[in-house]
Amino acid sequence: MSAVDLLNLLIAALLQAGVYAAMSVGMTIIYGVMKIVNLAHAGFLMLGAYFVYELYARFHIDPLLGVLLAFPVFFLIGMSVHWVLVRRIPTSDQPTLTSLLLLFGLWLVLQNLGYVVWGNSDRAILTPRTLDVLQIGPISFPTVRLVVFGAALTSLGSLEFVLHKTWFGRAVRALMQNSDAGRIVGVNVERTARVAFGVGIAFAGAAGGLLAMIYSFSPDFGGPFLLRSFVVIVMGGLESFAGVAVGSVILAVVETFCILVLPANYQPAIAFSLLVLALIVLPEGVAGLWNKRRRWA
Amino acid sequence: MNGAGKSGASARPRFAFAVAPLLLLAVLAALPAFSLGPNTVRLLFVTLVWVTISIAWNILGGFGGQVSFGFAVFYGLGAYTAALSVNSGVNSILSLLLAASVAVLASMLVGLPTFRLRGPYFAIATIGVSEAVRVVMTNVSMTGGASGYRIIETRPFHQLEHFYAALALAVVAVAVSMQVRHSKFGLALIAIREDEEAASDLGVNPYRTKLLAHALAAALTGAAGGVFAQYAAFIHPQGVFAFGIGVAILLMPIIGGIGTVWGPVIGAVVYGLIQEELIASFPQLHLLIYGSLLILIVLFEPAGIVGIARQIVPRLRARMEG
Repeated sequence: MSAVDLLNLLIAALLQAGVYAAMSVGMTIIYGVMKIVNLAHAGFLMLGAYFVYELYARFHIDPLLGVLLAFPVFFLIGMSVHWVLVRRIPTSDQPTLTSLLLLFGLWLVLQNLGYVVWGNSDRAILTPRTLDVLQIGPISFPTVRLVVFGAALTSLGSLEFVLHKTWFGRAVRALMQNSDAGRIVGVNVERTARVAFGVGIAFAGAAGGLLAMIYSFSPDFGGPFLLRSFVVIVMGGLESFAGVAVGSVILAVVETFCILVLPANYQPAIAFSLLVLALIVLPEGVAGLWNKRRRWA
Repeated sequence: MNGAGKSGASARPRFAFAVAPLLLLAVLAALPAFSLGPNTVRLLFVTLVWVTISIAWNILGGFGGQVSFGFAVFYGLGAYTAALSVNSGVNSILSLLLAASVAVLASMLVGLPTFRLRGPYFAIATIGVSEAVRVVMTNVSMTGGASGYRIIETRPFHQLEHFYAALALAVVAVAVSMQVRHSKFGLALIAIREDEEAASDLGVNPYRTKLLAHALAAALTGAAGGVFAQYAAFIHPQGVFAFGIGVAILLMPIIGGIGTVWGPVIGAVVYGLIQEELIASFPQLHLLIYGSLLILIVLFEPAGIVGIARQIVPRLRARMEG
């Protein structure tokens, strides 16, 4: 394999990593604030995909604009889901049986509502952009992937800004670090949790839209991506945003380069092997590494 | 845990509780005498397989509080192991033991790295393992990949033989579950469910206990998969490893009431009987219904049917007496 091929693969992996990060960050927020593993994440990814698809198919709204619109819409959906369901279950500093089962049930409901509404045929969003390729010297960039990567980075950047510069963001980070201490200094846990859940779902919906620009989808669409999100956040240490970035890059690079040696349909198995490996080698995720460093210093 | 034993009036129900299962067992064992149609026997067979798996899930999930979404893996691996070994000439009981052992090995693969850690890792890994195994089994050529695997039958088919195998396994499962519930091991599991740190301070080894419970549950589920494979004689990855199987396995004990001995049995019977109707009348909607059911149970009656019964029975009795 030549150096150019290698470079092409590496670029493909990095572009993929951007999408993975946008897809997983919503789970991290929700886990960090509420210690709830959002199993319904897959369902919201799927809904996001269909949301963008419907906007494009019916009103000819550009998928990128559709993704932007997905943020407020899914934010509201997320807040309502929290208000109707999630706030009723007991909170804990450990993920509880109840929360796992509740969100799993929600995933089933969403997925099968998808089947009821859209049937089980595969859909895809085809814009003039979809098959375009940008050629710079020997390296080629699929345009749509560049666009998706740009959108993913922009949304992650905005999230970073919100988390560091707003009261809500500080509250979220306080609850992630120590929820009791956060409560003592006056963070309204219930309201912060509701907004955080909204933000998490907003990111799931928007990421679903981004994925829909690259892949075809059906109501079953979220499952494999749910597994990938798990791998990313576990490698990232569950509650670290920087960890999500590193985890996404690792997963994307491993998946991309495994195609060289393994048939593509084994990809979920790759993700799972990486998950097990991460649990054995790095149980605290990459975030555990630099936390440990800090402790030593 | 429950207040059943506090009044003298509960002596009779307790007797009933001891006798009812035996009576049921006698009826089931005497089944050939009723000359039922093959379809009814099949329904009973499938329900008994479900009963076994439901009990198995409850040992880890109900007593130990560890939610697994990956029991379809044990079921499927058990089914494939049994099918492969029957085809290579192993007798059917030995093939079930092999099925159970392979499932135990698979349980270690998930349990060893995750049970040591605190946090949601186990639940996450179980979702991962079911995705991964389904993909691998769909692509492995030795077992026919996605097109499935057939048991080559050398003997004539006797439906009742399979029925008795399923019945025997279900009885074993109930016995194991009762034994666990009243043993030190079961108490350790319940202690872990309630508070892992406190349990560990009191000398329970959470890692070993959870691993053992997972292995026990896997063995029962794997054997149940084997019994099913020998009956069906044809299995395929989208059947035995299906997402829907994983959902069913976790739904049954939850419907019935997790953390009890009889809840999972009731749940499996209810599920086994309504499943047929639901799939026939709502092929698209049944998972939607199950999802909604799961949400409703979790929010309103986490103890399932057993919980409802525990609320209603004393009220009825009070009304009858008063």
